[in-house]
Amino acid sequence: MKISKIRGLVAALFAAVTVVAPGASIASANTEITFWSWRTEDKAFYESQMRLFEAKNPGITVKFTPYLNTEYNAIVATALTAGKGPDVLQMRPYGGMANLSDAGNFMPLTTAEVPALKKLSAGILAGAQGYKDKKQYGLPYAVSALGVMYNPDILEKSGIRALPQTWEQMLSAFDKVKKAGFLPIGNAGGNGPALEQLHATVGPTFYGGTAFFNDVVAGKKTFTDKGYVASLKAVADLAKWMPANYQGIDYNTARGLFANEKAAFYIGGNYEIGYFRSLNPSITIGWFPAPKANAGAKRYVGTWADGAYAINSKTTQKAAALKLINFLGTKEFGQALVDEIAFIPTAPYVKINDPAVKEINRWRTTLGTPFLNVVGFRYATPTSSSILQPGFQKLIVGGTTPEQLAKDVQTAVASWYEPQKGKS
Amino acid sequence: MSSALRKEQNRTTGALLIPALLVIVLFTTIPALTTLSYSLFNWEGFQRTSFIGFENFRKLFAYPYSDQLLAALRHNTLAFIVIMTLQTSLGLLFAYAMFRVKRGLRFYRVVVFLPVIFSLVVVGYLWQSLLDPYYGPVNQIISGIGFPDLAKPWLGDTSTALPTLMFINLWRWVGFPAIVFLAGLNAINSEYIEAARIDGASEGQVFRKIIFPLLAPSLTIITVLTFIGAYEWFDLPFVIGGSNGSPAGTTDTLALMFYRLSFGSVDSGANNVGVGSALGVLIFTLVGLGAAFGSAILRRREVEQ
Repeated sequence: MKISKIRGLVAALFAAVTVVAPGASIASANTEITFWSWRTEDKAFYESQMRLFEAKNPGITVKFTPYLNTEYNAIVATALTAGKGPDVLQMRPYGGMANLSDAGNFMPLTTAEVPALKKLSAGILAGAQGYKDKKQYGLPYAVSALGVMYNPDILEKSGIRALPQTWEQMLSAFDKVKKAGFLPIGNAGGNGPALEQLHATVGPTFYGGTAFFNDVVAGKKTFTDKGYVASLKAVADLAKWMPANYQGIDYNTARGLFANEKAAFYIGGNYEIGYFRSLNPSITIGWFPAPKANAGAKRYVGTWADGAYAINSKTTQKAAALKLINFLGTKEFGQALVDEIAFIPTAPYVKINDPAVKEINRWRTTLGTPFLNVVGFRYATPTSSSILQPGFQKLIVGGTTPEQLAKDVQTAVASWYEPQKGKS
Repeated sequence: MSSALRKEQNRTTGALLIPALLVIVLFTTIPALTTLSYSLFNWEGFQRTSFIGFENFRKLFAYPYSDQLLAALRHNTLAFIVIMTLQTSLGLLFAYAMFRVKRGLRFYRVVVFLPVIFSLVVVGYLWQSLLDPYYGPVNQIISGIGFPDLAKPWLGDTSTALPTLMFINLWRWVGFPAIVFLAGLNAINSEYIEAARIDGASEGQVFRKIIFPLLAPSLTIITVLTFIGAYEWFDLPFVIGGSNGSPAGTTDTLALMFYRLSFGSVDSGANNVGVGSALGVLIFTLVGLGAAFGSAILRRREVEQ
């Protein structure tokens, strides 16, 4: 190609860009807003919902773009920090994106502009608030809940008539299952985060659930508290019931052992159910809240708001973005989200039809306690999770003690969390 | 050569250097200096706030990062020693065997080099499934031939994970030193070897006294590259153990720690760009100085043909 030709091409391109760019905003007949998400698996769902939104709001089109979940935080942070980014986006809960909201990247939402916020409980709203200013920056859309999932067929074959209510009963149920030739639990040690969730499921009854959460957040109690140490020990005790060579069994294999009906129980979150069903559509899954530590203790269901919708504070399409947020807060959208993706909805006006999700949510509303690490201690580094995830892997093979691990968490958190500073 | 011509030549050489220099400045010098400046500031998430001097370095050398740093450094050093001794000597052995082989050189070359061209992610998954403690064939074979006690969760056991990772690294990379050494061997003037043989030197003497000293330039390259590779080891540990160096941080490396600190992980929350950058500066200094000293020392013992 001759130089002059290339030059001509560049000039033409340049002209095209400069003409088209302002053109988009001049054409007031059509406003395009962008919407980012980390749920690549929900792309089809969101796109069909956006078409419904566009039908109800002529003149606005929505471009939905999901990014890989593990890279999402970095992509959003880079874009927002550079003054760019989408008009509307999915926001990670609690500490996940609080540093971005504290830096003024999200538009504060008021109940006047987003009435759906009025219907949500304080605990759920907290998942999308600034760490420093406590303003509401997002509309939470899903909640997660932790418990014990079981396979009714294996329980029957093992001669277990009643669901365990106490820790002791659960361990004796594991023993029966083992004697009947099945694996007691599918959970294994290859994945740190999965062990952290296991602890968040069975631990609260040992440390005293929400009361301890409040005390440790307020700095009245520390992680070296006897109850918390006991909760760590409970995880170590479960190692005995894990499949052979549990240290090396990864997350997918572990979940596969339950999904393929080799293991009787799986301890974890409601969000696993979709995965279990995708591996084995014919599986029946039962669910009960983690048993109490002893006859006198209380039972708890670990829970947290798991995501929210937010508006970029630098958006030039505020009115359209608010319309979209309000659409995402409608009963119709919430209903579709539950029916099609099986999330536990945040809004009380959405009806859960799935029997498993229904049961989980019933327990969650009566026994709910915040996921200690996610809700309380992910706002700065070193997070409690970053100590516990490798720590649990060490603990279940006897590489550390519950007392030492508790001390390690305390030291890490006390290095940045004001109410815990100077405490051990 | 006239001075005018020399000047002209110098100018041409200078002009030819500019593109390469530009690339280095743009993609190495500037990012390195930026990282250095980042490490001197306080960061809240991805927001740079106030200048704090060497506070990030102090944090890096305090609990819990000090423990992680020491462990990672130990793993990197162990990787360097093991890769240098086992992988390099095995590579040299393969190269020498291929050098001496009469037939089928092309075939052996492909076999030895094949794993090097595999995608690392594929290599990671391949070995993960081979070594899977539940379904993997490796343990089934070990149990099958009568050693069920040796059927370990290789990648999940805190004592075997790192050695296993080094073994996989060796499997994948051994072809690289082998090919470099083979090229080195082929570059040796065969007259030296023939002369030694005529003088009655044994096979061992020829290798020790003639071939090995003349291979020094190849060894320099391999040593320096192994050093850099070992201290910046990231890809294989990341694919297999994730950014936390699972299990229990026993496969953690400096580069993984840097990644974890700078970008955070979805599973454990917040990041810390400041401390991450401090670690970046540390790695850069360590690798830069090590590679420079190493190559200077090794160059000295190279002999001219």
